Amino acid sequence: MFSSINTVALYGMNAIMIAAEADISAGGLPVFEMVGFLGSEVKESRERIKTAMKNSGYILPPKRITVNLSPADVRKSGSSYDLAVAFSLLSSMGIVLGKNLEKTAVAGELSLSGEVKAITGVLPMVIEAKQNGCDRFIVPADNAMEGAAVEGIKIIGVKNLQEAVAYINEETEIEATSFSLKDALAKPQVSDADFSSVHSQSAARRGIEVAVAGMHNILLIGPPGSGKSMMAKCIPSILPPLTVDECLEISKIYSVAGLLGKEGIVTKRPFVSPHHTISPNALAGGGKIPKPGAVSLAHRGVLFLDEFPEFNMSSLEILRQPIEDKVIHVQRTAGACVFPTDFLLIAAMNPCKCGYFPNRKKCSCTPVQINKYLSKISGPLLDRIDICVESSEIKFDELMAAADEEESSEKIRERISDAVEIQSKRYEGTKLHFNSDIGIREIKLYCKLGLKEERLINSSFKKSCLSARGFHRLLKTARTIADLDHSDRIKCRHLSEAIAYKEIDRRYWNGEI
Amino acid sequence: MEKYEEKEIRFLTPFDEEFPEKLKFITNAPRGIYVRGRLPDPSRPAVAIIGARDCSAYGAAMAKFFAEALSDAGVQIISGMARGIDGIAQKAATDAGHASFGVLGNGIDVIYPKQNKEIFDTIVLKGGLISEYPPGTNPLPRFFPLRNRIISALADVILVVEAKIKSGTSITVKRAIEQGKDVYAIPGRLTDPLSSGCLKLIEDGAGIALAPTNILEGMGIFSTEKTEYKSKTNVPLSGIEAKVYKVLDLYPQNLDTLSNMASLPVPDLLTVLLQLQLKDLAEEVGKNNYLRKV
Repeated sequence: MFSSINTVALYGMNAIMIAAEADISAGGLPVFEMVGFLGSEVKESRERIKTAMKNSGYILPPKRITVNLSPADVRKSGSSYDLAVAFSLLSSMGIVLGKNLEKTAVAGELSLSGEVKAITGVLPMVIEAKQNGCDRFIVPADNAMEGAAVEGIKIIGVKNLQEAVAYINEETEIEATSFSLKDALAKPQVSDADFSSVHSQSAARRGIEVAVAGMHNILLIGPPGSGKSMMAKCIPSILPPLTVDECLEISKIYSVAGLLGKEGIVTKRPFVSPHHTISPNALAGGGKIPKPGAVSLAHRGVLFLDEFPEFNMSSLEILRQPIEDKVIHVQRTAGACVFPTDFLLIAAMNPCKCGYFPNRKKCSCTPVQINKYLSKISGPLLDRIDICVESSEIKFDELMAAADEEESSEKIRERISDAVEIQSKRYEGTKLHFNSDIGIREIKLYCKLGLKEERLINSSFKKSCLSARGFHRLLKTARTIADLDHSDRIKCRHLSEAIAYKEIDRRYWNGEI
Repeated sequence: MEKYEEKEIRFLTPFDEEFPEKLKFITNAPRGIYVRGRLPDPSRPAVAIIGARDCSAYGAAMAKFFAEALSDAGVQIISGMARGIDGIAQKAATDAGHASFGVLGNGIDVIYPKQNKEIFDTIVLKGGLISEYPPGTNPLPRFFPLRNRIISALADVILVVEAKIKSGTSITVKRAIEQGKDVYAIPGRLTDPLSSGCLKLIEDGAGIALAPTNILEGMGIFSTEKTEYKSKTNVPLSGIEAKVYKVLDLYPQNLDTLSNMASLPVPDLLTVLLQLQLKDLAEEVGKNNYLRKV
């Protein structure tokens, strides 16, 4: 008898509906064959399924058994087909009622005992199934919360094969898992690090505030021990809250990467800080079946690269295209994958090898050494960084005298949230979210300058405080500073501040001060 | 020799009439020198302006100011074409349209350091380059102390702008004293290692260069024109600008320090600093590090 059931295949972030077909017929020698462009882990599942069924009390008849995963030209990999194949077989055997399997999708891994184990990528699978008209999805109990984040489809979490069969045959009732994304997002976030514990650094604090408010990429420069990494750790505490759509986008990536915990969904903006030994593939995403890399795991969150110049040159150059396009195309033999990469880049570095330039009392690096150190970061990459600030060395007596009056993250976050709200109102109905996303057309529309401001820009150009290259970046940053100030127009003081955050100018680094 | 002529390089020995008299009777006198351009005019005074390669902004400003003032008064500037004080002084003199002479520690056709290429090209038009090493010789550390004796020998007076106690500059000064030349030093701060060499020289009895006139008068040049460093106090400043200008220093300070000292929040401070930069009263050296422009 022939039967078929829906399941979903994953390739990168793309989910494809798959029909798990089974046929059991008499005639010829008993054989169990699985076909349909299967990876070795899927071929192995034959033994798993057979044993799991036996241990659950369903013995396969000694007949000619054929299983096909269709469409047969899509490569299948991973362990998520076990449950669907088992159901398909049980349906062919007449144990499961076939008519109950309509509009139902199934995914899960089986252990030999018949237990249903967690799999990766449930969230994109559920979204795809919903779009294809399924109204019920049977998933491993451990993945139920993750799937339940999608509205409009019933998610049934099962613990073992017997339970699943009983449910389909309507012998027992399993309540659909419910999960409210809005409630999860409304929960107050607790951060490990708070800006109130960062001493002084008023310049760097302000720079970070502007960067986060408009999602502008930022480069922190400073001597060792000045608190760059510490400030970076505090950044999650001031990030604007997630919207429901953003939350699903991020969770999808984490689901594919197999990084979602029991709580089932990512409710915080991610903060990814890879070590500088990271390989190009780990950063970009890769593997035979591509998995998202660090740039995608930081989607809608922060990618923090400490010791920026220590990164492998080829790793760093990878960042160029994802920053610009906000997606990365990973090409492999089995096909291409697209992962979203809309992150806020925060990079930290020392100004020179010893770390103390331009403090010549401590720094004895030659201009050649300083240049060499800086030139590890290419011009095109620097071009993509909107804000550049210096963190200063903290003197011991300052540290001792510091009172606990530093501004807390909560206050900073309030200001940032206001600015984010202004931006989302301005860009309502477009694909844009933040000031850093806007192009030349929007700059002309939203970053208009008055006569006084134009004069300031002109004289700054003449004084070579500015380069033409950074002009548009400057306007975008000024727009964010004006938003933080609740000002409709960009004023002189906003521009002046933005000019101070401009890119590092190589002139300052060749010793000719 | 033909090859040298093509590059306009001349080779002079003590038997040549043109060979500088000043080089003939020093200890370890050079057996011959390679010259591009011309040699210092023996009838006119010459001052060697020397100092640290990694100079501070203060040192750079002083080197430029003294080189301009001295060469305006008709003095020929001699130095070692190195990065830092040497190059800045020579560039200032040639930019002002006066003669300057560079003594090299490498072959005369080798440009070292590379960033001084512009000076190498312009210096031969008005002044000249001198080296005792054959063309094509690459710079080696041991050549530089040796060329210092030629710098001091060609000059009448040595002016040390900025130097650490132990440095190449101290070798030039030692040679100069052996050769009986006057040594002047520009004072700096007690706490600044880059001025420690100068202060030590002053302690040992060197002339204190408070203004170019100190040196000029020592050489018997008296001019009615008073050359003093003009600090820029005549530019009209608003109250807040004056407040920030007051806390700016000759040494780079970062935004945090400035914001604390001027008790201004960072956004306001940046606005004022840009105004000061536009008025040429402040300069950003290094990212977010500012100094007072002198």
